[in-house]
Amino acid sequence: MALTTMWTGSESYLCDRELAQAFHMARVIGMPLLIEGEPGTGKTELPIQFAKDLGLELFVYPVGSKSSVEQFVAKFDHVKYLRDSQVEILNAQRAEKGLESKLSTGGRETENLQDYVLKGPATKAFSTPNSVLLIDEIDKAPREFPNDLLFALSHRKLVMPESGEVVEVAEENMPAIIITSNREQELPTAFKGRCVYHYISFPPEETMREIVAKHYPKMDEELQDNCISLFYQMRSLGLERAPATRELLSWIKYLHSFEKAEALTKVKRASGMGVLIKNNDDLQKVKTRILGKNPKFN
Amino acid sequence: MFDKLPAIFRSFDLNSDVRTLLRLRQAMEKGLVKTLGDLFYVLKGLVTTAPTDIGPFSKAFYAHFLAIDIQAGETLEEAIIRSETFDEWKKKLSTDDLVDVEDIDLVNQFLDEVHLTSYDIKNFLSGKDILDKDDPSLTDKENPDAGAEVDRQNILDRMADYRDIPLEELLERMREVAKQQKSKHSGGDHWIGTGGVSPYGHGGAAAGGIRVGGSGGGKMARAAINNRNFYPADAKAPLKDDNIDAALAALKGIEEGTSDIILDIPITIKEGLKQGGIFLPYEKEKRQQRIQVILMIDNGGWSMSPYIRTVQKLFSKMKTRFAHDLKTYYFHNTIYGGLYSDAARTQFDKIEKINLQDKNYSVFVIGDADMAPYELHRSSVRDWQKLKKHFKRMAWLNPMDEREWYHSMTCSAIMQMFPMFELSPEGIEEAVIEMNRKRTSSK
Repeated sequence: MALTTMWTGSESYLCDRELAQAFHMARVIGMPLLIEGEPGTGKTELPIQFAKDLGLELFVYPVGSKSSVEQFVAKFDHVKYLRDSQVEILNAQRAEKGLESKLSTGGRETENLQDYVLKGPATKAFSTPNSVLLIDEIDKAPREFPNDLLFALSHRKLVMPESGEVVEVAEENMPAIIITSNREQELPTAFKGRCVYHYISFPPEETMREIVAKHYPKMDEELQDNCISLFYQMRSLGLERAPATRELLSWIKYLHSFEKAEALTKVKRASGMGVLIKNNDDLQKVKTRILGKNPKFN
Repeated sequence: MFDKLPAIFRSFDLNSDVRTLLRLRQAMEKGLVKTLGDLFYVLKGLVTTAPTDIGPFSKAFYAHFLAIDIQAGETLEEAIIRSETFDEWKKKLSTDDLVDVEDIDLVNQFLDEVHLTSYDIKNFLSGKDILDKDDPSLTDKENPDAGAEVDRQNILDRMADYRDIPLEELLERMREVAKQQKSKHSGGDHWIGTGGVSPYGHGGAAAGGIRVGGSGGGKMARAAINNRNFYPADAKAPLKDDNIDAALAALKGIEEGTSDIILDIPITIKEGLKQGGIFLPYEKEKRQQRIQVILMIDNGGWSMSPYIRTVQKLFSKMKTRFAHDLKTYYFHNTIYGGLYSDAARTQFDKIEKINLQDKNYSVFVIGDADMAPYELHRSSVRDWQKLKKHFKRMAWLNPMDEREWYHSMTCSAIMQMFPMFELSPEGIEEAVIEMNRKRTSSK
């Protein structure tokens, strides 16, 4: 079977070993991989980097509160169909009157229903062998979406609306399907039962060092140590919204625009906190507990 | 042994049925399960569906496959040291290995062996690049003294072997192991192996360098056993910060589907085309989910104060996540003509005014309903009834234990007016079900 070898990350992406194993297993037994974990721990990055690293085509379906399986699989464009059929009538009337000029339908034929099918990411992924399909933030979807989705995915076969065209994928060409969730709502049990589940635990300090090194290979060690230790100190405060990997990386990016000495003082004073802490109560907590400032007397 | 697996997992409150077995079999056929460590990962992927499943899963795995029962409050290390499996495993180590070694280091080694996956082995092997075969006869397990090189080759051979073993045979082998562990004389060559743990165990593999040093599955299991984040929140426990998410999930059930009539463009066009271009509008219902909630919180007495913050946190989370229409009122013990719209109870709103609002609001009253009998006099009861008459969906959530409700006269009186539930995730869920039942019956 193609592309079921273990993938452990690339130059710029450190794939946690357990995640790599779960991902491998999902691909081998042809089940979607459902990844949950704190925001900003690289859930969405996995399929993106995987596709990039192996040169595979990636199809993304960002889920929102109005998502429907129709958008995900395929939609029939009724408006275009109406327009084209009107154009046909019009053209026939013109021909009757002996007029040469015709209105164009852009190569579409009303006889040909598949000309009006707008293919969604699922259909595209199923028609591209060994592609990667990312369904991002499924927890944002309306309640019935996850089950509809699984029904669509469980058969390796999609039927296009109106045209009845069938898009099928052989088992060995099955796209790698990754579904991410931030746990904002509980997903139906039946849905979870059909996915390989992986929960990304927050990386410990050593791993975080490696992650930072992947992104900023030339970073000064002292600066890195200071940043990371302050970052973990913040996480230990029990904040409402603790900063995650993404926030740390953005903060480091900001610090990188300064000379080392200046950057170090910035770390000490924890400036640029807006990148890390996104909640006023949390900010007060950080100020009092880490920086030792009492905001009331400052 | 595997066929009982779903039942075992279910006894640890995990979701598992015959499909777990089918998928496990599939994974085995594809060669994903060659070591006990692999089995841990594969089952974890198949059985767990939330971080809160990881703790029970790890416990179930250790209990079932290694006969290590982890008691509540015990760390994984303690449970291992206490276990017979560990004793048996230690006996297999050569005496040299045991000199100057703390139990805790042995536990690390034990965990490494238990959680050794075929990926670890592959990584190790490809790293050392020793794939050449010297003398096949040396790889025979009759030669335990063969060098580390041979051991590694041995490992590769065995891996190939296990791939082709059908599930039934693996079952049989595991059954054997279990039997032997019970009768206390371990030995022979079976799947979870020499010493009862791993086919690559008996110190040789570890000595040969296949140590993952407290990473991987061992680390995961160790972290999961004692971390309450990896256990489900107790749905019966009173509402606290730890089970607030469970309560939130229960509350989501009050979402109300409303439907508006909108133009159905696809049908209109289709029908219009049939009519030769004369378009008659067709309509359809547009469904929408809407949640309207009113909270009435008793923030008067000391008995309520521990809960107020959590309740507010719960409902404010609810507000940001899925309900945007949330109103809160406050009262002390009971109501007299109206409620207050601020926590300090200075802004008074009369019942009549409150009753001007849409009757489709779901109303949660949160209070202990326990007060001096004279406080709940007739006019107060009438006020409650006015609210009840207007808002069809009303439920009372009580932070006190259900058994205490009947000891309070006022509480019993209120229970005759409103359905009362415990202020716990489970109670909230019941309240929501009750409210939804009312909605369907009133339609």
